[in-house]
Amino acid sequence: MGIVDSPNGRRGIKKGRRRSKRIGFHLDMTPMVDVAFLLLTFFMLTTTFSKSNTMEINIPPEMLEVKVAENNVMTMRIAGDGIAYCSLGNEVPKKIPLYDANDTRQLSLSGELRRLLKQLTADNKKMVIVVKLSEKAKYKQLVDIIDELNLMKIDRFSLDDFTEQDAMEVKRAG
Amino acid sequence: MSRIKAKRIGFRIDMTPMVDVAFLLLTFFMLTTKFRPPEVVKITLPSSHSVQKLPESNVLTVTVSAQNKFFMGVSSQQSREKIFNAVVKSKLKNAGLPAAAIADSLKNFKLAESFRVEGDELDKYVVMARFADPKLRPVIKADADAGFEAVNHVIKVYKKANLLTFNLITVLKREVR
Repeated sequence: MGIVDSPNGRRGIKKGRRRSKRIGFHLDMTPMVDVAFLLLTFFMLTTTFSKSNTMEINIPPEMLEVKVAENNVMTMRIAGDGIAYCSLGNEVPKKIPLYDANDTRQLSLSGELRRLLKQLTADNKKMVIVVKLSEKAKYKQLVDIIDELNLMKIDRFSLDDFTEQDAMEVKRAG
Repeated sequence: MSRIKAKRIGFRIDMTPMVDVAFLLLTFFMLTTKFRPPEVVKITLPSSHSVQKLPESNVLTVTVSAQNKFFMGVSSQQSREKIFNAVVKSKLKNAGLPAAAIADSLKNFKLAESFRVEGDELDKYVVMARFADPKLRPVIKADADAGFEAVNHVIKVYKKANLLTFNLITVLKREVR
């Protein structure tokens, strides 16, 4: 193995003597091929074509204020206890768990919350969803919510600060 | 011995094409491989369905670890040098370090992927980085367990530096709906 015939391997038919000696030469390439394959397997196994995925977020500049009618706003408050307090306009917030109870890996939001978001945006095309996360909330919850909204193709949403008033609203829900 | 076996002993096969392909693959993998730099802190990224890829150059990454600590990194070495000269150098001078030590730490600073930043100093560094390279693309790389408070701090810093479009790094989630 590993011995390679030179391409014009017809031995000793040609004219000149000097030439005929060179025509049939063999070179043992086994070590070279061994090393080449060793390196090849190494690089193939260590290479992962990893490029991280990202989600793009646009935030409004500080001075800009957008006025939206109150009944077109759905506020979603995440207080850090794994429950989303959703309220339409000024009504008392509804308690909806962020993740399904039997979903241990917590890969997606709960079905109830998804249904609510879908229904609200289907009913009212002008619906704006304001997401307010308290300081006790986790970053993962933010990513999951944004991901879910992106999947539902809801682009009318914004992030806002969680204020004292929001804490009161959460308490109002009980 | 039988005749057939005797015939097989000296057989040769032309391996040139196989070796050609092997070397082709070898060169490809050798040239495309970029070894991942060692991470300062281990980050478990949150998962999402986003398939958008991270831009390759001009990236400003603010990493938030699970312990809510901040790390900052800029991809280009020129920007790193500018940040060093603008922010870190004066600090080291005030600490009374000789010029040789400062030059040495600049060398280290240019090679480091990211460096630790205190939360209240982050805005200074981000503004400096933006000043060094206006085309910078801001990115937040936060651990899934990081608190929202810390991430919100980074978002506010970006907002203050007028970086209004930024990316959150996630991994693609494997799950069927």
